[in-house]
Amino acid sequence: MNDRNRHPDHNRPRRGPSGAGSEGPSDGRLVEAHSQLSRDKDEPAEGFSLTPIFIVFLFCAFGFWAGLYLTRNSGGFSAGAFDLDAPKAVVAGGPVAFEPDIAKGEQLFLANCAACHQPTGLGLPGAFPPLAKSAWVAGAEERLIKAILAGLAGEIEVNGAKYNGNMPNIGANLKDAQVAHIATYVRQAWGNAAEPVMDAKVAEVRKAIGNRAQYNPAELLKEHPLESK
Amino acid sequence: MTQDNRSGRPQGRPPEGEARLSRVEASLRGPFLLFFVSAVVWLLAASLLAVVASLGLGSLLAPFPDCAWLTYGRVVAVERNLFVYGWGFNAFFAVNLWLLSQLGRFEFRNGWLAALGGVVWNLGLAYGVVRIFAGELNGFALLEMPREVGPVLAVAFLLAAFWPLVAFARRPTGHTFASQWFVVGASFAFPLVYLLAQLMVLWVPASGVVQAVAHSWFVSNVLLLWLGASALAATYYFLAKVLERTIAAYYLAPVAFWTFFLFAGWTGPAALVGSPVPVWVQSAGVVAAAMLLVPVIITALNFHGTLSTQGGWARAWNDTTLRFVSFGAVAFTLFGLLQGLVAFRGPSALLRFTSFGGGIEHLLTYAFATMVLFGAAYFILPRLTGSLWPSAKLVHAHFWGSALGILGCLTAWLFGGWQVGRQLAADATPYAAVLRAESSWFSLLTVSSVLLLVGHAAFALNAFGMILKSSAPTDAGRHD
Repeated sequence: MNDRNRHPDHNRPRRGPSGAGSEGPSDGRLVEAHSQLSRDKDEPAEGFSLTPIFIVFLFCAFGFWAGLYLTRNSGGFSAGAFDLDAPKAVVAGGPVAFEPDIAKGEQLFLANCAACHQPTGLGLPGAFPPLAKSAWVAGAEERLIKAILAGLAGEIEVNGAKYNGNMPNIGANLKDAQVAHIATYVRQAWGNAAEPVMDAKVAEVRKAIGNRAQYNPAELLKEHPLESK
Repeated sequence: MTQDNRSGRPQGRPPEGEARLSRVEASLRGPFLLFFVSAVVWLLAASLLAVVASLGLGSLLAPFPDCAWLTYGRVVAVERNLFVYGWGFNAFFAVNLWLLSQLGRFEFRNGWLAALGGVVWNLGLAYGVVRIFAGELNGFALLEMPREVGPVLAVAFLLAAFWPLVAFARRPTGHTFASQWFVVGASFAFPLVYLLAQLMVLWVPASGVVQAVAHSWFVSNVLLLWLGASALAATYYFLAKVLERTIAAYYLAPVAFWTFFLFAGWTGPAALVGSPVPVWVQSAGVVAAAMLLVPVIITALNFHGTLSTQGGWARAWNDTTLRFVSFGAVAFTLFGLLQGLVAFRGPSALLRFTSFGGGIEHLLTYAFATMVLFGAAYFILPRLTGSLWPSAKLVHAHFWGSALGILGCLTAWLFGGWQVGRQLAADATPYAAVLRAESSWFSLLTVSSVLLLVGHAAFALNAFGMILKSSAPTDAGRHD
């Protein structure tokens, strides 16, 4: 360092840095030596380096953490989730108001109900009762909610035809809001024109009936008789 | 070589006897010097504007109140564009070309194509900058230039940086070195990123937040995948070359390469944490910024491991090229650690609206990429021009001006940003007090900008002196 300030011209190079005059071979050796290194990696010349195994564990931990972080902080990869705190507010019944949504209801209906009741809501004659223009789904909303939450088993008469079906308790595995979307859709699609159903009502009914077996249709009628048209 | 380096003179002396270029070097001399000279000219302009901009920050009154085109917004936009597109691109066109042809040992045929690309690039940039000065700028960082500049720069890039790739593909040797991977990766990444960003942000603007996402993606890609990857290539090369040893833990380098290119492209949205962008996009950015630690750790093992054995640091300090390059290597490790840390939601909420992000960006673009470029210039130029650096004093002035200048800037941005962020987060502090605290850092910023300008001027004097000295009597010097 002490002679750094000397003018370079004062000592002409005795010889250039090796390879300065013959860049080719020198760079060739550089490439060769390194490609040799990456081919023969399992040859520790002396001692044993802990670095590789430590690095492997560390990077695996990184990957594990990345997966955890993404699943916890991605809002379910929904295009509509903009804020980490928003989903919690919905669960806690926070400031986000519930809006019965026909479009969501239709999606949920197609996923959960349409296999039997058909996308047309007409059911299958002789097997599954129709929902379109059915007195069962209009009128008192508790009747419909209870049927979705607990299911129905036994003889049922819909629009003058008798069915002997077995409807599982689809709603038990759905959230209140989802059940409300479905019920609203069913009550307003295919020419039906009944009031929408709110998630608070679903929660109330769910609490009232508890975890019970399927309703017999007659039993359900006793609680909520069909309204005369 | 070790004994030679101990003398501490600027390294990169010409070959023994009279200037004699290898055929590989002779073939790329013209394009290299064109790229390099224009890069340094743009760098000088950018650092001059940086001083003007910092003056504008420090005072309530603009330094040139009657001059619309010297208002802060335009000056800062021009400065950043000149620094990235003028200096960062031209200089890496030159260094990448040199690395490719040296390591692949090919003669660079039809170099005029690359030179043409350089001319078109600089003309397009000059036009764009004039338009920014005139006040016709877009509101997207690094895309401020009017949109018709986009296709021009893209074509120029293909000529200047893609034509060397054609030569690389037809190189006579089979084996490749880490530097070549990074150069090839950077040359492929940029045109794609630039064209997509031009389309989605300026030509056929995507609606709503998609535009912001595309823009953040573009900025992180340009900075990391062009400047960062190119500078990594040069660092790998010069450490191995000047120290004359193999890179430590070199078998990990391929992992560094692939993970760097995999994660760097995703880090952009980390800057959008807290904005109305779907939360999974933000989280993907956070995860990518954290996962970028994988290549950062590997390159740290590579670089610092290589430097740590057999007195490597001492030799690096005594060698002009390595002094700059190892400064950059340390800066890159710091950059990776800080970027990973700050991406998280907690720190990001604290530092979002402060100068901290600018500090991290300069850690990458200046403390790493630019310092490595300087080191590369000290190595390459004497070989291409066949003469010595005219003044060792100017070399010192350059190193200390740049090193102290960037350290001062980083202090002002990082510590200032941290302090301001904490005060903004504390409800009790009145906003006027926050502003006062912030402006107290501006004088440090101004002094540092002047230091940088002095360093760059010293470098330009030295380099231009050498190039002029060699080009005028260049044939006379080869009379043997």
